[in-house]
Amino acid sequence: MTAHAEAAAHGHAEHHGPPPANRSSRMEPSTLGMLLFIASEAMLFGSFFAAYFFVRVVNPDATIVTPERWATWPPEPYEFPVFVAGVNTAILVTSSFTIHWAVQSIRRGNRRGLQAGLVATIALGLAFLLTQAIEYAHVGFNTTDGAFASVFFGLTGLHGAHVAVGLSLLIFAAVRAFRGHYSPEHYHGVEIPGIYWHFVDVMWIVVYATVYLL
Amino acid sequence: MTTVADHGTGHDTGHGPPGPYAPRPRGILMRPGFVRATWCAAAFFVVGMYIVVGLRWLAGWDPIYDWTIITLVGALTAAPIGFLLGLGAFDYWLYWISGRPTLPEDHSGHGATRWQDYFRVNTDHKVIGVQYTVTTFVFLLVGGLMAMIFRVELAEPGLQFLDGETFNGLVSVHATLLIFTFMVPVFAGLGNYVIPLMIGAPDMAFPRLNALSYWLLPIAGVMFLASFLAPGGAFAAGWTAYAPLSSELPVGSMFFNMGVQFAGASSILTALNFLVTIITMRAPGMTFWRMPLLVWANFTTSLLVVLATPFIAGSQFFVLFDRVMHTDFFVPEGGGYALGYQHIFWFYSHPAVYIMILPGFGIISEVISVFSRKPIFGYRLMAISLIGILVLGFSVWAHHLFVAGMADWLRVPMMITTLLIAVPTGVKVFSWLATMWEGRIHLTTPMLFALGFVSTFVIGGLSGIYLGSVPVDIHASDTYFVVAHIHYVFFGGSLLTVFAGVYYWFPKMTGRMYDERLGKLHFWLTFVTLNLTFFPMHWVGLRGMPRRVADYAAEFGAVNMFVTISSFALGASFFVFLYNMIVSWARGPAAGANPWRAMTLEWQVSSPPPIFNFDEVPTVVGGPYEYGVPGARHAVLGDPLREGVHA
Ligand code: HEM
Ligand SMILES: [Cu+2]
Repeated sequence: MTAHAEAAAHGHAEHHGPPPANRSSRMEPSTLGMLLFIASEAMLFGSFFAAYFFVRVVNPDATIVTPERWATWPPEPYEFPVFVAGVNTAILVTSSFTIHWAVQSIRRGNRRGLQAGLVATIALGLAFLLTQAIEYAHVGFNTTDGAFASVFFGLTGLHGAHVAVGLSLLIFAAVRAFRGHYSPEHYHGVEIPGIYWHFVDVMWIVVYATVYLL
Repeated sequence: MTTVADHGTGHDTGHGPPGPYAPRPRGILMRPGFVRATWCAAAFFVVGMYIVVGLRWLAGWDPIYDWTIITLVGALTAAPIGFLLGLGAFDYWLYWISGRPTLPEDHSGHGATRWQDYFRVNTDHKVIGVQYTVTTFVFLLVGGLMAMIFRVELAEPGLQFLDGETFNGLVSVHATLLIFTFMVPVFAGLGNYVIPLMIGAPDMAFPRLNALSYWLLPIAGVMFLASFLAPGGAFAAGWTAYAPLSSELPVGSMFFNMGVQFAGASSILTALNFLVTIITMRAPGMTFWRMPLLVWANFTTSLLVVLATPFIAGSQFFVLFDRVMHTDFFVPEGGGYALGYQHIFWFYSHPAVYIMILPGFGIISEVISVFSRKPIFGYRLMAISLIGILVLGFSVWAHHLFVAGMADWLRVPMMITTLLIAVPTGVKVFSWLATMWEGRIHLTTPMLFALGFVSTFVIGGLSGIYLGSVPVDIHASDTYFVVAHIHYVFFGGSLLTVFAGVYYWFPKMTGRMYDERLGKLHFWLTFVTLNLTFFPMHWVGLRGMPRRVADYAAEFGAVNMFVTISSFALGASFFVFLYNMIVSWARGPAAGANPWRAMTLEWQVSSPPPIFNFDEVPTVVGGPYEYGVPGARHAVLGDPLREGVHA
């Protein structure tokens, strides 16, 4: 056995790890890390909203032709599928509840609940992405059809990518949940992807309100 | 209350399926390292390429082999990820994801005993600090040599040996390398080494993330350099890469767009790590108001990085979309808004200039206090002014757009906020001066660099104030006056602080002393030639010589010849530094734990520090700069009840 493997085989208790650091904040480091990451992500959305704002509001010749710009967004003859996206909103909001339920379950030691909550959330997330893909296919315009399309695909696409990332995190958590990890004392591995998922959900509401409703 | 930092030992690992992790013996091809990195990068390139080809084939688009998109997806996105995978940056997480038992971070990978240890994924913050610093200096050297090349071209009016495109490429890559792969990350390197030591922590909060952050950086630098090999030459729209020009230039431009993403990801991840480390891992007694100003400076800088960097990421994404997906973000014909690029870009890049100077302010505060043997003047105000700069820094970006045709009403507010920033900056300068006042000044090399910094940086700040006022800027924008401003704040500012920091912590990092005589020689050569090189640029700039143009009017010939000659002397001074560092690292005299008799925690442990920094967590009992104050202590090491421990 190599020295390396030997050290590992003896488990944590004896490994020559660093002395414990002092904990100078009540905040769990990985939770804090995730919150800061989310702040950064929110700024990334901010840059996409800025682009949206430039195209729709600032740009003097934003929408082709009409002076009453607000009245004709998107420009004739295009339309945004407000209803389909509304259904998608409902799907995503529901998934925030299911992930919350998953986390609450493991806190009470209910592994079945954890697993069911995760699976339900993943299913809802996949449904969201599928709906969005279908929406893209039938929306009637393409990335090349003008700046309104650029910002539409930009914001919804950025959000879709975040759903995909959030889903991956949830799938990792689910794999571990089914392999027996997590307990009422140790559930950060689900809680932290959960925080991210809530963020993705809140972001969608902002995107939906801006792109489709305003 | 104590806890283990996230070394993978905590949380849920112990609750998974039992069974120790025993790494299988693996051959050279499968072992993490450069061999695996090479073939993984190649394999990922091929996969990326065939994803593109496959999708285009399915969609029936012509041509199926679109090399622009293949370069973007295969070479600039997939291959670097494959490289990181092969190097082993993701190994732990992959085990974790698959739910298999993970190797607890037993720190057998910590530290560096051989030089090869610096060429692998290493989780030790001290190793990463050195990796970062050395890598960034390599990019400084390469970027500096490029400047030498185009300075030769600029020695005389007319075109001698470069054509316009090559010249533009050299200028752009020079600035890009020096900003994104030197100035921003070099401070991350010094901070990595020093911050955990200064706050009494054994390592950073997320050591594996730290290693990944480092390895993203060389990828960015290599990408910038590789753009010279792209058909059509290197990216040539300047380091600011304004759209729509940058989305229409040859593919070399994409190397900029993507390189910036890797450099940006690297700096965001490091900043997250700094913030979490500083917030959650301070030693007992180390309140925010007892933190050394270097830690304060990196704290505020990290906030800037986390909040601002996503904007440059966004701006480069839009440019790539415009190129590859033919969107119209910045294309006026399609209803896009060309100036939008500049707004979004500068919303990052103005804060970025503070990202490149605030950590330097921190270094200078350490150095000036130690070598004046006096407490820093107005410690709290120093910290508060950092926060003032942080907040104001987000409100001035449009001073880069005064002549770009942006909304007129935005000019005056931006001018006012720009001039306001001079207030917290001035607070810092006066506080340094007051710290030195009646101090017992020791003119060591770091102190010389600190003094040099204060004097040249003030000149750069003054030219900034001129540029910040709209009427002057309308005259001086896009001329050599701006070039002079940049180089006074970057070279005379940031780079001198980096030199001060490197000399100051060199004994701590290497355990050896540099040659003081060579250090002083380096300082005087740099200081004099830097002013000779950059000061005349103010003058030709005000006379109307435009920046970023290979040719210029004959009347500026003499000054430019002078500048070129000075710049070569300036370049030569760097080799004094290089020689001093290399030779002293190899066989300088032993430095001892605390050659500067400094109070901050990093000097209370051996040089170089032990593998986990402190045997026991130290206890902080006072401020960090109580020099000359009788009986004052910053910290107590070991058992606080045992007497006779020095602070
Ligand atoms: C008193 C503080 C400062 C003021 C008022 C100021 C103001 C300005 C203004 C108005 C410009 C735009 C010039 C133009 O393009 O027409 C500018 C350019 C620039 N400044 Fe400053 N500045 C200050 C400090 C700094 C510092 C500390 C740094 C970096 C460490 C810095 C880095 C730059 C850079 C890199 C540019 C050129 C951008 C380009 O390539 O176009 N400035 N500054
Ligand atoms: Cu600025």
